[in-house]
Amino acid sequence: MKPTNTQDPNYFHKVVDCQWACPAHTDVPRYIRMIAQGRFSDAYMVNRESNIFPGILGRVCDRPCEPACRRIRVEDKAVAICRLKRVAADHRDDISDRLPKAPSKKNGHKIALIGAGCASLAVANDLLPLGYEVTIFEALDKTGGLMRTNIPQFRLPPETLDEEIQYILDMGVDLKLGHRINSFDDFLEQGAFDAVFVGSGAPKGKELDLPGRFETNNVHIGIEWLESVAFEHIDSIGKKVLIIGVGNTAMDCCRSSLRIGAKEVKVMARKPRGFFKASDWELEDAEEENVEIIVNHSPKAFVIENHKLVGMLFEEMEYQIDDQGKIDRGKVVREKIIHCDDVILAIGQDNAFPWIERDIGIEFDKWDCPIVDETTMMSSRAGVFFGGDAAFGPKNIIWAVAHGHEAAISIHKYCSKEDLNDRLPPGMNLASQKMGMHEWSYSNDYDTSERRLMPHVDLKERFKQLDIEVELGFTLEQTIKEVERCLNCDVQTVFTANLCIECDACIDICPVDCLTITDNDEEDKLRARLTVPAENMEQDLYVSETLPQTERVMVKDEDLCIHCSLCAERCPTGAWDMQKSTLLLPYAKDEANSNIMSKVSNN
Amino acid sequence: MTYIGKPNIVHPKAAKNSIGLSKRDYEGVVSTLCAGCGHDSITAAIIQAVFELDIQPHELGKMSGIGCSSKTPAYFVSQSHGFNSVHGRMPSVTTGANAANRDLTYIGVSGDGDSLSIGMGQFAHVIRRNLNMTYIIENNGVYGLTKGQYSASADIGSKAKKGPANQQKPIDPVSMGIALGATFVARGFSGDKEQLVPLIKAAIRHKGFGLLDIISPCVTFNDNVESTKSYSHVRKFYHQVIDTDFVPPADEIKAKYKKGEVMPIKLHDGSKIVFRKVDKQYDPTDRAGAYTYLRDSINKQEVITGLLYIDKECDDMHEIAQCSDRPLSKIPYEELVPGTGELAKIMNRFR
Amino acid sequence: MKAIFRMGIPVVGKNYFPSNIQGLPTWYEVRVTGDGYQSASNQLDIIIAMNAQTYQKDLLAVDAGGWLIYDSTWPRSKLLDRDDITVIGIPFSKLCNENFEGVRSRILMKNIAYVGALAALLKIDLDIIKELLNETFAAKKHLAASNLEAIMLGYNHVIENFACPLPLSVKPLNKTKNHVIIDGNTAAGLACVYAGATVGAWYPITPSTSLMDSFQAFCNQLRKCEKTKKNNFCIIQAEDELAAIGMVLGASWNGARAFTPTSGPGISLMSEFIGFAYYSELPAVIFDIQRAGPSTGMPTRTQQCDLMICAYASHGDTRHPLLFPSNPEECFYMTLSAFDLADELQTPIFVMSDLDIGMNDWMCPDLQWDNNYQPKRGKVLNAEQLDAMEKFYRYLDVDGDGITYRTLPGEHAKGSFFTRGSGHNKFGGYTEDSQEYQDVIDRLLVKWETARKMMPEAVIDYSKFNKTAIISYGSSDGASREALYRLKEQNKNYNYCCIKSFPFCKSAKDFINKHEKIFIVEQNRDAQMRSLLMLDLEIDPKKLISILHYNGNPIYANFIIEEVLKNEKKGVAA
Repeated sequence: MKPTNTQDPNYFHKVVDCQWACPAHTDVPRYIRMIAQGRFSDAYMVNRESNIFPGILGRVCDRPCEPACRRIRVEDKAVAICRLKRVAADHRDDISDRLPKAPSKKNGHKIALIGAGCASLAVANDLLPLGYEVTIFEALDKTGGLMRTNIPQFRLPPETLDEEIQYILDMGVDLKLGHRINSFDDFLEQGAFDAVFVGSGAPKGKELDLPGRFETNNVHIGIEWLESVAFEHIDSIGKKVLIIGVGNTAMDCCRSSLRIGAKEVKVMARKPRGFFKASDWELEDAEEENVEIIVNHSPKAFVIENHKLVGMLFEEMEYQIDDQGKIDRGKVVREKIIHCDDVILAIGQDNAFPWIERDIGIEFDKWDCPIVDETTMMSSRAGVFFGGDAAFGPKNIIWAVAHGHEAAISIHKYCSKEDLNDRLPPGMNLASQKMGMHEWSYSNDYDTSERRLMPHVDLKERFKQLDIEVELGFTLEQTIKEVERCLNCDVQTVFTANLCIECDACIDICPVDCLTITDNDEEDKLRARLTVPAENMEQDLYVSETLPQTERVMVKDEDLCIHCSLCAERCPTGAWDMQKSTLLLPYAKDEANSNIMSKVSNN
Repeated sequence: MTYIGKPNIVHPKAAKNSIGLSKRDYEGVVSTLCAGCGHDSITAAIIQAVFELDIQPHELGKMSGIGCSSKTPAYFVSQSHGFNSVHGRMPSVTTGANAANRDLTYIGVSGDGDSLSIGMGQFAHVIRRNLNMTYIIENNGVYGLTKGQYSASADIGSKAKKGPANQQKPIDPVSMGIALGATFVARGFSGDKEQLVPLIKAAIRHKGFGLLDIISPCVTFNDNVESTKSYSHVRKFYHQVIDTDFVPPADEIKAKYKKGEVMPIKLHDGSKIVFRKVDKQYDPTDRAGAYTYLRDSINKQEVITGLLYIDKECDDMHEIAQCSDRPLSKIPYEELVPGTGELAKIMNRFR
Repeated sequence: MKAIFRMGIPVVGKNYFPSNIQGLPTWYEVRVTGDGYQSASNQLDIIIAMNAQTYQKDLLAVDAGGWLIYDSTWPRSKLLDRDDITVIGIPFSKLCNENFEGVRSRILMKNIAYVGALAALLKIDLDIIKELLNETFAAKKHLAASNLEAIMLGYNHVIENFACPLPLSVKPLNKTKNHVIIDGNTAAGLACVYAGATVGAWYPITPSTSLMDSFQAFCNQLRKCEKTKKNNFCIIQAEDELAAIGMVLGASWNGARAFTPTSGPGISLMSEFIGFAYYSELPAVIFDIQRAGPSTGMPTRTQQCDLMICAYASHGDTRHPLLFPSNPEECFYMTLSAFDLADELQTPIFVMSDLDIGMNDWMCPDLQWDNNYQPKRGKVLNAEQLDAMEKFYRYLDVDGDGITYRTLPGEHAKGSFFTRGSGHNKFGGYTEDSQEYQDVIDRLLVKWETARKMMPEAVIDYSKFNKTAIISYGSSDGASREALYRLKEQNKNYNYCCIKSFPFCKSAKDFINKHEKIFIVEQNRDAQMRSLLMLDLEIDPKKLISILHYNGNPIYANFIIEEVLKNEKKGVAA
């Protein structure tokens, strides 16, 4: 193999599994270290730079970072990254001085953002400080989009939502609430804006057209029902409720039902456990509230008696799962009626753009989604950008924010008449963490503590009102423990081959056997030959330059390195060093400055 | 040296041996020797060897004297009893320990100062007794704990980090071992575990005294370019005459050798040592020949490594003394005491 | 000597020999005493002058009124010029030359002929001598016959030529029933077998060598596995004393009872390891068969000169329990105690014998054995106990007596720990922390006080009417008792305390406190017991008066009597 190019920012970025997995690439280890030092406001600001809504995401993020966490590979539970984000938000001081400010002198460009959800707000956040004049058009009477309509208040308190949205609006947004755009053609024809960003979400819940569907009013579409509950248009439901589907929306539906009168809630899943869409933690939270999840039931018909919904007919399924974990289509073993008063359909969402004419230069694909460039977020019509669920279908908040950042860069370049594809590359800074013989400027001691559990409001208490937030947030003691679980994957093992005397000290001390000195070879052979064979192909091998004494190479399997620094500590010549890699992600403001390296900081 | 312990986590894919232990289960506390010390590599090789031999940790006795080398038994197999004795006297303690319990596996770790100076007498006599033990000399040519004086194994002209070059003749433990009648004599290098691990395994399984001289560079006092015990010097003049492989009793010899090239020797427990001669003239069962070859190599300044001599037929201390097959310390007292009647009979002889 | 013993008459034998192998003169002194005194006597009634080189010296040694017997084949009347004794010349060489073939045989038989001559002169029972010859040469009958012939040569010659018996002769008594004649090393070697010792390591040194010889001989007889014929013991002749003690420690670390016999120079060499054993708390039994020092000194002469070095052997703060047997009988029983104490206290125990006890023949009551005896192996945790424990710590004083629990290698993974002479804490870990270090060192003092309660009590003879006392120990006991008895005959009464162990027991302390003046009898120049008493019990030095005998020969009663009387006279004069 060729020596690893550690100058490529992506190499070390990939080692920081959580940051790599995060669509917005939040610098997780960095903010966790800040929390460890009690620097909650700093930790909040590190978050805000990349994900804009730390308080919101600290509660309801889909957490793609956590399944990626190295700690899972080392033991079995990820660091509670999301919980710690909320700690930063909950304990921050007044940070209004540190928020970006819009200049009083505008740059003359006017931007329209359609929808007041997270994607549009992210764009606004990035463009306002550059002097853009931003107008948001929102069909509903309130901002927040799906964050407000689809996430129940017992998970995300309205105050948190309002506060973080207000930080953006305070920079001076022209906010037009209750302003539904019915014809995009008309809107564009007016030519009032230099660029338009569509962040209108994927607002259409999927339908389940089975016999009896339209013979009753007791079958509800999940996201619409949640929105009605959020806006208090609905305040009750029957005693027995069936939820169809096991995604995160289903979890919100079942738990909301319990708070407005349901006594017996069943979530009906077509497939067995392990094939659910909902996150594990959302399932756990629902089950804690005595929601029953019934697997292997495929809905067949609504049972209507006397024009009244009395239950649902299901086919009980049996599946075969092969060695690769793939599930077959299954076969029906029997049919079964389960009685209920109401059914909520939570089987997915679709994009819906009835307001966009199909002849205005915006091309749509066969699934009726607009064709959007994945880098620039621009549609086939110049100056029209998409982001969030509106771009590539339903994802989540953190993806929407990531889209917003990219779209903001593109809009800036578009308005500046620059090539949208000529974007600043990400940068990287490496800084040694060595303080003394055995002293490092980070907590390198491996803490064997288990993941802390989120304390919840008592089961009886929480159902009294719809808006009682169930999760209480980590206590200080929990926080102190949890931050130590972070492995500091951004403190990298950096190797200098010509200093190595091949004494084996690093290999011998490595607790997870990830180092080997061996003859160089092709990757697959090398992977097989390591002290412990490197079988996780998603993780790279770090291959050194040729070693001076024996002409072999040092190979490190990045997979299980716990960044404990022992290799560097035992190295007599300093061939190994622990250096903190800081990923420098360009945002719109950096494009404006054109100098990414100005962002280097010491944290 | 580190202030933190080695984290107590194991690679999930790390191998386990036949008694269900992983290599990590054979570790000791984190070394307090200088970073990069050859001794630490030897420690790692010992861990690897006892792990691969499926030795129950508590059935291993770790013996040592005084010096950097003698600290190392604390750094491997925490679940074994250790005996860090006095300077140069590890052989006698091990002799007594083995006399009392012949069932345990004994690994003695010594250094060039501990064995070739203050402990020369005991070193010679433990060879004479053919005590069943593995005797490792971690040989770096200097005294580390007292800050870098030359030891008896320092070569003429070799120069440590400070002071003038050494002018006294070195004592070579390997040729001395062969001359004294040792039944298993090998030399290894801390920087070559591929060779070292099988050597340690073979020495452990050899029934009798297994002498292993291991060149182990001292990074702090003797790893400079003018030293003949530095990593770079040893690598430059490294000459492996015998490639040694250890094959456990149940395993077949792997067919990776060409016919006629290998020379398997079966040990008393059925395991085999497979020699592959790099130098065709070399015969590891010919004591006189081995000695001559070694002396020549010393003149050529070569560092000869491998299992250099073996005599697997020799009786060990217990066999020579016709001791019980049972560990003496485990024989019930009732079998040891002759009783009242016998004493009365004895008394009659004294009238 | 044995013949006299079998006539029921108490005897004591003292061998005076030089430190060489062949050719230099040796004396063997036999004390025949109806009172059963055990010590040497300074009175010589009969001397058999067998060596021409020492005729003159021997002549002077005989007390007035005594007899000198010599080989008159070549008379040397000039040399034998003394008129207060009777000189008896017997032509032994001539007699043997006429009757035996071969130079070597003649010389040997000449020595035997002396016995016959003596038998006639002293009226020793010839039948008993014949019985002894038959027992000794049971396997070689022809030797019994030739030896008897030699005896009869001497016997008949004397009967024919002299008036027999002499005015000084022996008369059968009944005072040796259930007694044996045995030396201390033999008794101690035998005790090692009975104590269950399996590993003995040693380096040959006079006068301890015969202890290991004895162990070896008894083991060969008593310790072979009946089925396999293999040895249930392992004796290792080490390369030096440093190795010998190392082997003992290695063996006892592994749970065997192990010992080493040595003498003063050996203790000097062993010192480093003894300190190691003290600090790492390993049992060991060390026999110090003391000889005259310093340095090589007089290897074949006796002294009690190693008290200080043994009590405090090794650098740093160390101290070790000592046992003081007074005779071979006590050598046997104290050896058993030594093994028990070593195991219970987890520390080296010294058995402080000496050349006089170890190598000379003493008359002792038969050694007894109780089949119910079980060795006390001390606080050793077995696998079952370890399994039930959460964690084992080697140096934790669980019971508050300063004695901690130990484990043996190979028993259980939970029991593993590092035996080391470097600084360690109560958990058994290496330490350089002042407090942790001191915790352990202080706890060893607690153990010392526990030891004090476990050591054998002093033997005390006390009467409240006596104001002055005599203290002795070890081989000085016999002469001291004889002196006490004979002083009593002169109406001078003293209390007596024979010390049996160090640290000193409470009874010894109380005894000392009850007296204003105490004579301490010992066989060294520097009054080592007196110093130990002062150090360990903080006794006022003024009241401790030394009686010191240190010329290398065993102390005798007259010496003590003279010294006591001299001191008492001085006291009166003052």
